[in-house]
Amino acid sequence: MLEITNLHASIEDDGTEILKGINLSVAAGEVHAIMGPNGSGKSTLASVLAGRGGYDITQGSVSFQGEDLLDMDPDVRAREGLFLAFQYPVELPGVNMATFLRHAVNSIREHRGQDELSAVDFLKLMKEKAAFVNLDPSLRSRAVNEGFSGGEKKRNEIFQLAMLEPKLAVLDETDSGLDIDALRVVSDGVNQLRAADRSFVVITHYQRLLEYIVPDHVHVLMGGRIVKSGGAELAHKLEEHGYDWIKDEAVVA
Amino acid sequence: MSATGTEYLNEVAASDYEWGFVTDVESDTVPKGLSEDVIRLISSKKSEPRWLLDWRLKAYAHFEKILAERGFPTWAHLDYPEVDFQNISYYSAPNSKPKYESLDEVDPKLLETFERLGIPVTEQKMLAGVAVDIVMDSVSVATTFKDELAKKGVIFCSFGEAVEKHPDLVRKYMGSVVPHTDNLYAALNSAVFTDGSFAYIPKGVRCPMELSTYFRINAAGTGQFERTLIIAEEDAYVSYLEGCTAPRRDENQLHAAVVEIVAHKGAEVKYSTVQNWYPGDAQGKGGVFNFVTKRGICEGDDSKISWTQLETGSAVTWKYPSVILKGDRSVGEFYSVAFTKGKQQADTGTKMIHLGQDTSSTIISKGISAGNSQNSYRGLVKINPKASGARNFSQCDSMLLGDRCGAHTFPYLEIGHPTAKVEHEATTSKVGEDQIFYCQQRGISEVDAIKLIVNGFCKEILSKLPMEFAVEAQKLLAIELEGSVG
Amino acid sequence: MSERQTIESRLLETWESRAGSAMNGRLHDGRELAMARFREAGIPAKSEAWKYTPIRRILERMPLLSLGAAAEGDTLSAADVAAFAIDGLDAFRVVLVNGRFRADLSDLAGLPAGVRILDLRNAASDPAVVEHLDGTGQEARDAFAELNSAFVQDGMVVVVDAGIVLERPVFIQHVLTAGSPALIQPRLLGVFGKDSQARIVEVCRTIGQDHVLTNAMSEFHTATGAVIDHVRVIDEHKDAVHINSLRSYQEGGSTFSTNVITVSAGVVRNQSYFLPDGENCETHLSGFYLGQNGAHIDNHTLVDHAKPECYSNELFKGILSNKAIGVFNGKVLVRQDAQKINAYQSNKSVILDDTARMYSKPELEIYADDVRCSHGATTGELDQEAMFYLQTRGIRKDDARLILLEAFAADVLDRIRLDAVRDHVDALIRRRLSQN
Repeated sequence: MLEITNLHASIEDDGTEILKGINLSVAAGEVHAIMGPNGSGKSTLASVLAGRGGYDITQGSVSFQGEDLLDMDPDVRAREGLFLAFQYPVELPGVNMATFLRHAVNSIREHRGQDELSAVDFLKLMKEKAAFVNLDPSLRSRAVNEGFSGGEKKRNEIFQLAMLEPKLAVLDETDSGLDIDALRVVSDGVNQLRAADRSFVVITHYQRLLEYIVPDHVHVLMGGRIVKSGGAELAHKLEEHGYDWIKDEAVVA
Repeated sequence: MSATGTEYLNEVAASDYEWGFVTDVESDTVPKGLSEDVIRLISSKKSEPRWLLDWRLKAYAHFEKILAERGFPTWAHLDYPEVDFQNISYYSAPNSKPKYESLDEVDPKLLETFERLGIPVTEQKMLAGVAVDIVMDSVSVATTFKDELAKKGVIFCSFGEAVEKHPDLVRKYMGSVVPHTDNLYAALNSAVFTDGSFAYIPKGVRCPMELSTYFRINAAGTGQFERTLIIAEEDAYVSYLEGCTAPRRDENQLHAAVVEIVAHKGAEVKYSTVQNWYPGDAQGKGGVFNFVTKRGICEGDDSKISWTQLETGSAVTWKYPSVILKGDRSVGEFYSVAFTKGKQQADTGTKMIHLGQDTSSTIISKGISAGNSQNSYRGLVKINPKASGARNFSQCDSMLLGDRCGAHTFPYLEIGHPTAKVEHEATTSKVGEDQIFYCQQRGISEVDAIKLIVNGFCKEILSKLPMEFAVEAQKLLAIELEGSVG
Repeated sequence: MSERQTIESRLLETWESRAGSAMNGRLHDGRELAMARFREAGIPAKSEAWKYTPIRRILERMPLLSLGAAAEGDTLSAADVAAFAIDGLDAFRVVLVNGRFRADLSDLAGLPAGVRILDLRNAASDPAVVEHLDGTGQEARDAFAELNSAFVQDGMVVVVDAGIVLERPVFIQHVLTAGSPALIQPRLLGVFGKDSQARIVEVCRTIGQDHVLTNAMSEFHTATGAVIDHVRVIDEHKDAVHINSLRSYQEGGSTFSTNVITVSAGVVRNQSYFLPDGENCETHLSGFYLGQNGAHIDNHTLVDHAKPECYSNELFKGILSNKAIGVFNGKVLVRQDAQKINAYQSNKSVILDDTARMYSKPELEIYADDVRCSHGATTGELDQEAMFYLQTRGIRKDDARLILLEAFAADVLDRIRLDAVRDHVDALIRRRLSQN
């Protein structure tokens, strides 16, 4: 599904290297958690995968379903099936959810050689998926993320994930700023979307989210590199002992 | 922004004008030039009464005086050559017949013109609930649904017909809101206006359909000088819409209109404009000079006047639809989207003059500039010393598409009463990179993302247009944005 | 002969009678040029820039018999000047009486090396004057700036060399005796070297009650990395007209802050031009106006963003009552290619009764697309809910009003970084508000 090889990325403006040789392999249906302290490069990795501007890829490669991901425009990546749940979802004043998502769904359907959804079918789909994350169906007439509470914004991201049915979903700190109830709703939504042909990369600072979304693999990202990988139990260890022991281990290594 | 995005914005800036064709009809056009004789000629062609000719001549004398003493108004953020008033023909009527008794008499070529512009004229094809007065060059060629309106006592006809059939109303109100002394172009219009629309809504009547006037400049070398007068008696309601287009021509054509609205006690008038005069080509050649004076007076208590405009055309726009809030608790509104591209220049906004007590006004203006265009909001909020409890809220947002255009905001707030509450906010921004990226991440192309975001930016205003036209307006904006892409 | 000719021609006569005196060399040439430009421009009769301050009519009404002549022969003592001191302000003191430097009343002892505070009369050949006086900023020229340059003679030069951090502020006291009608045209030139830091405080006061016109002009040149803070307090009597032109030029990476506090009873026009002429400049401009009893206070600003990546923040607030007129006209101009500008502008006024007026014109003129600019303006009465709330807590109405007005003024006054000056201004405003 996703094959990241020796990926180096730096900030375009000042050349600061953030990712210093990431290697990661995600197979279909797997859930990988990427954990790490602040400033370790987690969100940069998400941004680079989705194709956000402002970064230079200086080395390495990323292949997605066998194709060169880094060569694609951000919208092509999305149409190929890569979804990013934003840490800070963007507000689009005056652009209503229905219009926005119809554009999105139909762009992706067209790319997959499917017919456009009729207005009726589309609204039906929206209603069905909104229920997934407890979003009020009236949201379709609201502007994208405008005036949404923090929790609503995050739920809206998962709702869009459900609408767009990607192959690979990258969740960037989806748990940040969520209270326990909202966290449960979001996690339930994600769990329902887990499928044999759909993979997840869950980026988080805390182990809390992984109580609900149980990962197959856990990786620790520090200083722009993956310094340790393991199973779900690694997350628990991090919760108990923090990141310092790995830092020490890494130094020793 | 990526190369595609930039390229797209360039294309937007250069996109074409779809309404630029010319209708080949015979027309009766007076020779170019402006003089008392020309005014007498116009007046006699229209078989006008003496009082109207005198009124015109008085206005003309004033026009000459302003021109000599003060010259052209220069305070707007506009740069255009002085108009040569002698190089314009002041009267042009398609066909020699000055008046039509019914639609059947109208030259089919004319009807076809309006069909092509998307304005259905024959009543069976009409949008239900919209009566249309159609003005081509100097004369009204057709007014639909007149009989049905007459049943309710609503008068909707060409200005010329109103002069003939309702002279008392015309004499009472013409020039009462925009006096001929108001400004250079209002004086010119008062002297040479040839036709326009007239609407009168009697006491307590809710006009059963939208009234609409469609203005079309067709003949070359002419100017268009129409007058509109709308009177809403006590507790009356009317929604009125004007649209306008002109053929593509290399010379600049002058459009100097006057619109007057009077709203009596408890009356409400909603006036919407979709302005799409020929803007000139990408190099700034040709295009309409749109110098328009629009003003309404909330004469009675609890009355309301609302202006909504979508301005996409004209080479130069100089236009400030205003409301004089004379009645207590009267309400004035101004909602505007101005889109400029190529070498267009727009200086547009409003004046809200608060005279009565507890009056309120709202101004929402959205300016979008592309290409090499200049787009300015200019607005006055004036709270008279006797206007206690006045409220105003103004919001003026500008969006820049490309780095060769300008977006400007010039508000004037003149506050003379301590209980006034006046708030003005303005922002200038571009389409955010983060917004584009967010859309792209959902599979939407960069070009579509820009369109979505710009549309969202204007939404608040477009939703104020009457339903039948909101769709048209959105389409127009889409075409404007479309350029040669998509 | 029309009125228009009389004001200008009277000024010209005075100018000619004084030509050749005192000044020489470059200054002299500059004065010739400025006078020619002044004659061409003339005192504005009707212009957009003076829309709400009919300066020509105001000047025509003044019985300026000796228009053009500076008041002479003051006998002010140190004790007279001490009355205008700011408590607790430890500063180098400069006293100008009727625009003229009075060394005997000033105190410049202990001025560190690399800092020069000079009387302009004796500084015509100082390199800072040669290089910077009237050096740049043709965009900001107007009749009054030209007039000041045409007569330039009185005033001060403050030079802080590169790398010098001037700990003690420079306190400039302008005292007008106003014993007879006069025209005073002081000039201030501040030249601040690379990475230098300085704070300038000016206070303008009048003693007498006769008609007096001040046509002041200040120029500040702030080099890369320098951080300069400026405050000007104008507190003059009802027959004083004060035109105060400021031009600020900044090199990249510098910070310039200015705050003008106007509590005069007469006519004041503060017109300021800011040119952040390099990347990463910070410009803070603010002002407070307290207009009472027929005062007319006009604040006019232009921030000219010609270079990218700069930040400007403008805040003007005022309180108006009893036939006072307030005017604010602020323009933020972002020129083409001046990308990534962050510019904020805000004007807020409180009107206390129905005889006062406020005219506000906050403008944005933007020619670059990648910018964040916003402005806001509000005018209204005191929040009646808040008044009521305070009253329900047992606070008397007058006190409640004062509390709210002081709170309203606080964020502008907080921009004054010198505590002694802030306290002084605070007390001054409180005193004036409670007198009313």
